[in-house]
Amino acid sequence: MSREAILKAVKANKPEALPLPDIDLSVFDEDINLIERFKENIEFVGGRLLEINGLDTIDAEIKALYPEASKIVSCMKESALGTVPVSKDTNPHTLEDIDLTIIKGNFAVAENGAVWVSDQEIVVRALPFITNDLILVVPKNAVYLHMHQVFDAISERERTFGTFISGPSKTADIEQCLVVGAHGAISLTVVLY
Amino acid sequence: MAHAEAAAKFNENEAKVNWHDKALWFVRQKRDKQAHKVQGWEQLRDYASALKANVLSNLDSYLVQFEENAKKNGVIVHWAANAEEHNKIVHSILQKHNAKKIVKSKSMLTEECHLNPFLEANDIEVIDTDLGERIVQLAQEPPSHIVLPAIHKTKEEVDELFQEHLGTKPSGGNPEYLTREARKHLRSKFLQADAAITGVNFAVADTGGFVVCTNEGNADMGAHLAKVHIACMGMEKLIPQEKHLGIFLRLLARSATGQPITTYSSYFNKPEEGKEMHIIIVDNGRTEQLSREDFRRSLHCIRCGACMNTCPIYRRSGGHSYDATIPGPIGSILSPGKDLTKHSSLPFASTLCGSCSDVCPVKINIHEQLYKWRQIIVKEVPQPFVKKIVMKAAGSVLAKPKTYDFVGKSTRFMLKHTPKSLINSKINTWGHARDLPEVKGDNFEDWYKKRQKNE
Repeated sequence: MSREAILKAVKANKPEALPLPDIDLSVFDEDINLIERFKENIEFVGGRLLEINGLDTIDAEIKALYPEASKIVSCMKESALGTVPVSKDTNPHTLEDIDLTIIKGNFAVAENGAVWVSDQEIVVRALPFITNDLILVVPKNAVYLHMHQVFDAISERERTFGTFISGPSKTADIEQCLVVGAHGAISLTVVLY
Repeated sequence: MAHAEAAAKFNENEAKVNWHDKALWFVRQKRDKQAHKVQGWEQLRDYASALKANVLSNLDSYLVQFEENAKKNGVIVHWAANAEEHNKIVHSILQKHNAKKIVKSKSMLTEECHLNPFLEANDIEVIDTDLGERIVQLAQEPPSHIVLPAIHKTKEEVDELFQEHLGTKPSGGNPEYLTREARKHLRSKFLQADAAITGVNFAVADTGGFVVCTNEGNADMGAHLAKVHIACMGMEKLIPQEKHLGIFLRLLARSATGQPITTYSSYFNKPEEGKEMHIIIVDNGRTEQLSREDFRRSLHCIRCGACMNTCPIYRRSGGHSYDATIPGPIGSILSPGKDLTKHSSLPFASTLCGSCSDVCPVKINIHEQLYKWRQIIVKEVPQPFVKKIVMKAAGSVLAKPKTYDFVGKSTRFMLKHTPKSLINSKINTWGHARDLPEVKGDNFEDWYKKRQKNE
């Protein structure tokens, strides 16, 4: 094991101690319409925003958007569209042909169109990536200005796995031509209610 | 081969160079647009730089803190002094699980350690799953850019590679079609993989967790499907606290590709039940770089590639001309520390314009470090005869005001009267695409004297 040797070398070679900077988050303040900014950004990253009033009509709205979807996983009790049940014990390999997944997210970020989801909401870690299409459902009052606020908001959680998702998966690795739908979801819709 | 020679090769295809140049400049412009939208952008860069400086000055204690927290989360932590040890650790983990099929997402560290050839020699299949990396893997080339690995390939070249290796139909280089085919091909690899290897963008000392950023979702597809996840990190990837991720995640993608954030920023803390998560902390020359006062700030780097996209030399010489794992301006200050003789031409592959330092999200003084490496290199590595003579001549001219005045005037005369046929002649390479500047009026000294008189 090289652990001791590495730590010894670091100790010998590191510069004199420098303090942590005092971070004044007020320099990042902006007085803006958060939902407007979120909408701009989610569209910029190739996603779609759907605004609805309450969750009563959510299934009808989703059906209208994805009429062809048949293998559907719903990870939220407010939607009854799920046709494939999942639990913590689901083998992720069996989710390979899922058409649509509906997940509740508790935090959205105006500055970059991202939604934070974690183990508690996604049930199986592979799910939001392996699904063909993805819907993230977020309360309107959970749109935050920037990343600093979201990290503050999630600081008390149980830490296992979580991810910020901003738009559908994409690549521009062939001559810089943007193609939506790389390895993860091919489309992403964020529903704000 | 020296950088200039390799760059000359790249420049044989002028149309391709022009495309490469413009494509990267376009990414730089996208970066500007995103940066200008952020309230307090410069402050973000200042904080990021100060945080990284704090990390380096307490690196040993942060490493220990990180290890402790990661272990509490059930993650297995390994330490590797060099590339060889790193590769052996990866191999031993794979052996333990009898893993023969591996998917790997982008990791410059595993490139640096030459992990793929090592594993392949041990009968293990390693598939690079980032589309750009898969393209260069099929072409048996190294990445030419740290964020855009296949930026040097045309779509027609990709088309041919895919026909040969994936059995695709000729499409004239249709990016949509080729990407769909790659998705199918790689999806089957994800589903069959015994283990997944990823890099690490940020490791958080106060939680023991780490963040991996991708646009394609390939790191997550690999890590969540396979039974074993091995994350390989350079020891400088640490940041002190989770809340500091806010700062770095705001900077990374904007600087890299002009996106407000990558599609996926995945934060791994604990393995899923029944699965294993490993982290390998790698030194491989980093502690040595830490000891060099003038160069240690190069360890602030978060691998965004902004310095490459903006560099007038990189854009026109291509990543392969640097013959180093990390090309471009940042690579040119990292590589000489690893092998001064091999990389001695790299700090000269710069105009010292400073654009790299201006766009660096963690404010590394890249152009100043390039200049400092030059001073070391001319002392320690033999320089070409012509260069030595020219420098000596320039030195003696600049030291004597009278000679300087004479040479200046002669040059102005030559600039005015040298025939174009000579400047643009075949033997003068400089003149192939350039003309001498037009000379107007007096030199500065004469102009200044006249001006004094008239007043």
